[in-house]
Amino acid sequence: MVGQQGLNLAVGIITSHFGDVVAKVCSCLLRRGSLSLQEIVRDIGLPPARVKNCLLVLVQHNCVQAYSVPRAVTQYMGLLDNILHRMRFPKFLGILAAEFDDPLCLALVEGLLQHGRLTFEQLVMRATSTKSERTMAIRDSLRGSLDQLIRAHYVERCPKPEPFISATSEDETSTARKRGSKLWTLEQKALAAAALLDAERFSGIGDINGDESNSNQLEEKAKGISASTNIGEKRKHEELEFDRETQAAINENEVLWRANFEKFIHCLKKKACVTSVRTRLSLDAAVVLEAMIESSNHKKAKENLVTSSLDEILEWVMKKPGGRLMTMQHVRTCLEELKCKSSTEDTKALYAIDLGEIVEECRSEEVGSLVLQRYGKDAYRMFRLLVKRCRPVETDNLAEITFVKKKEAPGILYKLWMDNYVHMEIAVAYPGEKRFLWKVNTSTLYEHILNDMYHAAANLSQRIAQNREQQQEIANQPANDIQSKEYDRLKNTRIILETSLLRLDDTLMLFHDF
Amino acid sequence: MGRRPAGALAAPMPSPKRPQRAPALGTAAPGGPQEQRLAHLSETERKAYDAIWRKGDMGMWTADLKAEMGLAGNMPTKIINALKGKGLIKDVVNYRNRGRKMVMAAEFEPNNEISGGSWYVDGDLDVEFISVLRPLCRRAVENGPGGVATLESIASSIRDSRAFKVDCSVQQIGEIMGALVLDGEVLEVTSTGKGEFVGLPPGKKCYRCPREGGGGPKMGAFGSIPCGVCPRIAECTPDGVISPKNCVYYDKWLSSLEF
Ligand code: SF4
Repeated sequence: MVGQQGLNLAVGIITSHFGDVVAKVCSCLLRRGSLSLQEIVRDIGLPPARVKNCLLVLVQHNCVQAYSVPRAVTQYMGLLDNILHRMRFPKFLGILAAEFDDPLCLALVEGLLQHGRLTFEQLVMRATSTKSERTMAIRDSLRGSLDQLIRAHYVERCPKPEPFISATSEDETSTARKRGSKLWTLEQKALAAAALLDAERFSGIGDINGDESNSNQLEEKAKGISASTNIGEKRKHEELEFDRETQAAINENEVLWRANFEKFIHCLKKKACVTSVRTRLSLDAAVVLEAMIESSNHKKAKENLVTSSLDEILEWVMKKPGGRLMTMQHVRTCLEELKCKSSTEDTKALYAIDLGEIVEECRSEEVGSLVLQRYGKDAYRMFRLLVKRCRPVETDNLAEITFVKKKEAPGILYKLWMDNYVHMEIAVAYPGEKRFLWKVNTSTLYEHILNDMYHAAANLSQRIAQNREQQQEIANQPANDIQSKEYDRLKNTRIILETSLLRLDDTLMLFHDF
Repeated sequence: MGRRPAGALAAPMPSPKRPQRAPALGTAAPGGPQEQRLAHLSETERKAYDAIWRKGDMGMWTADLKAEMGLAGNMPTKIINALKGKGLIKDVVNYRNRGRKMVMAAEFEPNNEISGGSWYVDGDLDVEFISVLRPLCRRAVENGPGGVATLESIASSIRDSRAFKVDCSVQQIGEIMGALVLDGEVLEVTSTGKGEFVGLPPGKKCYRCPREGGGGPKMGAFGSIPCGVCPRIAECTPDGVISPKNCVYYDKWLSSLEF
């Protein structure tokens, strides 16, 4: 669960993208959970029409999902993760640029990110500025590019606009107003009800009835019919043709498309894992991991477990710039270095790696570095030991193993405990003699650090906004030497701040999304 | 009463003498060569000596002596001083509780429970010794065949370097390696028997240095911005007294980075 600071950051993002009024509505939803239009109106005291418009903006940009429950008016809920993903759009486009040479693909996704959700017709209009340009040729290329993006799961059909949750009891609806486990159950139910099945979600624009297999069946039927001379059947064929055209028109004019954030985040996770292996293990191990990931790309996207056969890995390693020089023996050594689990299936050697383990290692590295920065080397060593041991360790014992002076260990541990980095237990060895035991509870620690990181990201954004305003002020004044120097200084500062925010966001994803 | 001659590490070749602490039980037993000296003790002194001697290398807390013998006033101090004067007992420091006055029969060397083990001198962490041993261990890993070393090979390379007068045990080296691993200066790896591990049995625990000359932890994204290490983060709000807008930590950080 995202803490208070995560909500603040999300509201900050909405304020800077859509202004204060939309942010007010969004903040109300994020803080109070699911609400009806009337409840929002009552809460923030704005006219219903304005609130409705704000909700429409938020729905359009995939930041709010509507749903209905029995005997209640439509409920709206804020989608926190989707709001936070808004600061990752440049990263998403970077992934696409690296994978697709086609500028149309980039333009299509750019359009979807900018406008939230669009029909194909709207995408065509966006890509072509004049009517004369809207020729069949450009339409066909756009259709091809969109299909390509859908096949690769970068673009998806939007979920159902307002699913109905019938299984919810009244009791649950009323408790939904309070933040708690039941609320999440209800919201998760709503999200699950809104989600389309994969076959429909990723059926291309040319597909009819939302399913490729259906479309094939249709074609086969059509072929069979054309061979026959039966008039009744011919009519059926015509109906079918008509259905196909209607469906195509619906697909182009009514079906809404949006960028699939899940896929982009998964790509970023893979990229982070490869980078981590490159710095932690070796360049070659990173090449092999990348090859493993790419060769298994067509398989289930969401899963952490990546499995590939040796042949597939070798084939993909060859495609890499540094890969051509690697012998099979060397690739095998790298697979061992990566601690891949090997098995055989139908005489094929299979290798599997759990990306979750790499992510966990990155998290622990990040937290360790924070402890080092904040509390010094002795604290770092003690902290790492506690993480490694996973069970409580007594103060003196801890100091001995980590070579920390016995006099200093309690002070350091106390500081770590005060800041919630370690957990303390008191054991009574014998009457009058207390012993302090320490351990690290990673899940609560991660939650605490994540909250602080959201706070830091909001602070960085505020500094960036402040910097932007200062730059604007200077730009509006008549230019002189001092001012142009100051302008340059602000520009440099902004680069530092923005780079820091991008890096911090990578870490946020590491702890929250990966 | 250090177990290592003072200034040993200041010499060009550090040579800390780390004596074995096995007590010479035979010589201390009543009836042994000590007997003559013991003959001159008063009855109370003799009883006190026996009580202390029975505690062996664990030493005896003076308060326990007082209670055990039912002594009153400054009697315990007098007896202890007399025994010390005759060279029969000595003071020892309990590294866990330095304020607790402890004595031990002269023939014994403090047990690890009392001295804190091989890394402690007079109850204090032997920082000097450790700071010499650590880089030697790391270098032994770097110089190992293929940049890989086992615990035994590190211990033998330290022994061959003759850096210390007394051998460091494999266990001691293991403890130092544990700390180096925690610091991220070396990595613990398992031999595959192939490649860089050629000649080492598969499954054997080994050490190697991080690649690309890296050592120690990298600076994380959060730790490298002011908020990551800020002591006031809990009080910091967008429009509060402590706020990013007027944050001095930020100003300092930016001015140190600006080009
Ligand atoms: S903005 Fe400044 S005061 Fe606020 S948390 Fe960051 S460093 Fe601390």
